[in-house]
Amino acid sequence: MSAREGLVVRRIAVSYGRNHLLRGIDFAIAPGETLVLFGPSGTGKTVLLRAIAGLEPAARGEVWIDGRDVSALGPEARATGMAFQNFALYPHMSARENIRSPLAARGVGKAETEQKIAKIAELLRIQHVLDHAPRELSNGQKQRTALARALVGEPRILLLDDPLRNVDAKLRYEMRLELPRLLRAAGAATIYVTQDYREAMALGDRVAILLDGVIRQIDTPEAIYDRPATIAIARLFGDPPINLFPLRPQVGAGGAGMEIGGLALPMAEDESGEGRVLGLRPETITLHREGLSGAVRATLIAITPLHERVVLLLRLASGEEMVASVTGAPPEPGSDVWITADGARALLFDAASGMRIAAGPVREMVA
Amino acid sequence: MARSDVRAAGLPRFLRAFALVLVLIFFLFPIAWIFLMSFQSNEQILRIPPHLLFTPTLMNYRALISGKLITAAGSLDLPFMRNLGNSALLSAASVALSLLLGVPAAYAFARFRFRLGENIAFTLLSFRFAPPLLVLLPLSLYFQELGLANTYVGLIWVYQLICLPLILWIVRSYFEDLSPDVEYAYRVDGHSWWRAFTRIAIPLAGPGIAAAGLLAFIFAWNNFVFALILASADKQPVTVGALAFVTASGIQYGQIAAAIVLSILPTLALALYAQRWLVEGLSLGAVKG
Amino acid sequence: MTLALSGLCKTYSGRHGPVVRAVIDLDLDVAAGEIVALLGSSGCGKTSTLRMIAGFERVSEGTITLAGRRIETLAPHLRGVSMAFEGYALYPPLSIAENIGFGLRQSRRFPSREAVMARVAEIAEMLEIGDLLARRPSQLSGGQQQRVSLARALVRDADLHLLDEPMGQLEPQLRAVLRGRVKAALKSAGATAVLVTHDQTEANAMADRIAVMEAGVLQQCGPGSVLREAPANLFVATFIGEPPMNALPALVVPSGLRPLCAEEVTIALPAVPLPAPGSRVVFGVRPHHLDLGAGALRGTVISQQWLGDQAHVVIEFAGHILVAVSHARVSVRIGETIPFGFAETHVHIFDGENGRALAHGVMPA
Repeated sequence: MSAREGLVVRRIAVSYGRNHLLRGIDFAIAPGETLVLFGPSGTGKTVLLRAIAGLEPAARGEVWIDGRDVSALGPEARATGMAFQNFALYPHMSARENIRSPLAARGVGKAETEQKIAKIAELLRIQHVLDHAPRELSNGQKQRTALARALVGEPRILLLDDPLRNVDAKLRYEMRLELPRLLRAAGAATIYVTQDYREAMALGDRVAILLDGVIRQIDTPEAIYDRPATIAIARLFGDPPINLFPLRPQVGAGGAGMEIGGLALPMAEDESGEGRVLGLRPETITLHREGLSGAVRATLIAITPLHERVVLLLRLASGEEMVASVTGAPPEPGSDVWITADGARALLFDAASGMRIAAGPVREMVA
Repeated sequence: MARSDVRAAGLPRFLRAFALVLVLIFFLFPIAWIFLMSFQSNEQILRIPPHLLFTPTLMNYRALISGKLITAAGSLDLPFMRNLGNSALLSAASVALSLLLGVPAAYAFARFRFRLGENIAFTLLSFRFAPPLLVLLPLSLYFQELGLANTYVGLIWVYQLICLPLILWIVRSYFEDLSPDVEYAYRVDGHSWWRAFTRIAIPLAGPGIAAAGLLAFIFAWNNFVFALILASADKQPVTVGALAFVTASGIQYGQIAAAIVLSILPTLALALYAQRWLVEGLSLGAVKG
Repeated sequence: MTLALSGLCKTYSGRHGPVVRAVIDLDLDVAAGEIVALLGSSGCGKTSTLRMIAGFERVSEGTITLAGRRIETLAPHLRGVSMAFEGYALYPPLSIAENIGFGLRQSRRFPSREAVMARVAEIAEMLEIGDLLARRPSQLSGGQQQRVSLARALVRDADLHLLDEPMGQLEPQLRAVLRGRVKAALKSAGATAVLVTHDQTEANAMADRIAVMEAGVLQQCGPGSVLREAPANLFVATFIGEPPMNALPALVVPSGLRPLCAEEVTIALPAVPLPAPGSRVVFGVRPHHLDLGAGALRGTVISQQWLGDQAHVVIEFAGHILVAVSHARVSVRIGETIPFGFAETHVHIFDGENGRALAHGVMPA
């Protein structure tokens, strides 16, 4: 383990008095890999980044970079690059001087320094503002300058603390497309913190879910979306969030099953449905205008456009409410619709522990 | 665009201008009057009613600079220029020492949480609470013992009671307003904490340090009681030296006015110089992220 | 109970800087019971507009009429508006309940303390801060304080509710839930509201109409569907919608459009009313209207992102980056050259000089 390239983090713990913010974090990131650190605010994502950078005096545990234990070293000796949520540019220096800082710290020669600054500025398209002071830059330019500063020293470890949070939607989207290429070119082991699950899915080779001071799940973005370990994770990933229904067991003609407001779901043989919660993602619910056999009738209560999709709030005959996300033109609010759900993509959780049950409803839903 | 301009109940423009002029007269008239007085002889000053037109004389300034005070009762030696020099030396040295000690301390109080930190900071502030005279009596005894009485070193030391708490508390709040992320970023770039302190924290807190230094200088300059008790004539600043103007043959208003003008000049020059820093610091803005 | 802004201007004549025209000649009507969002990026003039309506910012030119009376010179408390602040602006010594109920003390609708507290509890419950009522503002997180500020604005019985980025500090999941609730609460009270936001999802979800602002100028005001389907200019077209609309400059030729970046390609658009041949235009297609795998154009896949319910495929076409959104998984490899195209009905044509919209798909004859 210790001879491993990239970043290895072992048993990182941070406590402030009785507040145990982080309670033993372990993971490893290979060079060139991007790990997205995802979780609600206040879970200690930023604190974990600081611990890795050497900026958190309360941190315990080990940080290994390229097979070297750097736990006892100060932040200046760890060869990391870092970008901050609020950009943290040096306000009294020009963009060029900001970017020069990591090179100056390592005594890089003048010609090489200028060449590296020119190269990174071209990559991030900020050549024309290099001699401006930070206060003269737009938010997008500030963010690019901050990224340039983090990348210019070719760090082995790159720590990006929600760098797109304070830029507007269009820029954020452009950077979301651009960042994977930049990060691949940098070749560093990267940790990317975000609260936006789409950003996490777009940028992460893997995603680590930080909840209650521990990493609850670490896997590819698709695996986390399709097979979340707990109800809490399922709720964090997805917009609109997943529909959750406590189950009532039901025995039908095809063996054990369950139903929500008449919407029947076949179950695995040994699953009674007792004490279970069913999760249906809004996009797995399909709308039909006429009574299709097996479809359930629901009333359309409200319609909200969400990007190119439409979010529908539906009420089943039994009174349960359900959110569906569909494409195309929706019917009028107040009208009746028929719905089916894709049973193969339904998720089953244990109500008491919140853990996902590996064998969910396996059979295809009614056609 | 943070400028908010809720109008003061729609006051007409000329009324506002008039009010402004009244306020200006109230504050500036005494200074202007003293300035005029400094070019008049004692007889001209004491004339009733006072005249606005007079033949200006430089005799007050000449007397101060030459150190010879000519009164009705004869001539008197007056070490005013020496006093002025003492004031400048004591104030400048005290503020310099205070900045040297206070700025790093303020940084430590702002950035690091350590045991008894708040208590120490408060204790330092509490030096400002005690009436100086009460402190002075025991202090003068100690100073006699230590051989510090009537020395510049001793006075500069005592002046820390004035300057240090001021600088510590003002500069500390400036450091607290700076986002630590900016310093963290500099550390991660590969710079030592000392460089982060000198290249990032100090320049960014510059306006605060300038303001605190200026205030401390003015307080030190205007101090009276410490020097009165702890220093003899050759170490006394202008504030104490001015007592000499109350002579056996009356109060020398002209010289007092000239002395006031001369003693205002250094602080005024300093304030004008520091203003550049203060404004520059304010326009730097956006430091708080 | 209608708000009308007419010829509204805000000019900052800075003593230390140049003259800034933050809002330029703004005309906007808000009907009774309507929710209108002012949408734009930072510095577009949306917050200055809101602050002028609230009375925190002097009107440089123009008029503001609310409920039939001119209010632009009145003091803020006489205007009959309530406001939720982006920076919270809570009263630190008061409890959360007192903060929320503060504006109700003078109200005739709530004669007793009990009535006030009942109303406060109701609105706090809606915003999920019901269990925080006894605390002080300093004990709350940023997101919680913001909800208190929102509650204080909503609880009041005002002619107009002004909401300045009311949910900027909230977590995405909570934001999604509260948008719907706040809208429902405003609607059921028949309240009129102006919302300032930079988040188009929020604007779409909460507002009846969206006013897009840029550089102090109102670009377009209309329901979200109109902004998406018939944007007035290129700015609105690329600002509204996530991912943004794909836009390519092109030359009109007799047989259709010729992209400036690919001279050998001609896109035939027989049914779209194009300007005269020789005109410079910009043509735009929304990412989810770009069909992959079929069509007359060829592009190279440079990246692919699966977001759980949709795939974003980035293709390079003659040096331009285009984004395609598919609501199902697509099987393309990075580096692969694939055919793509789009239906004529989904093309938007803009003037190449000033960006004004010339045609949206197939215009009815």
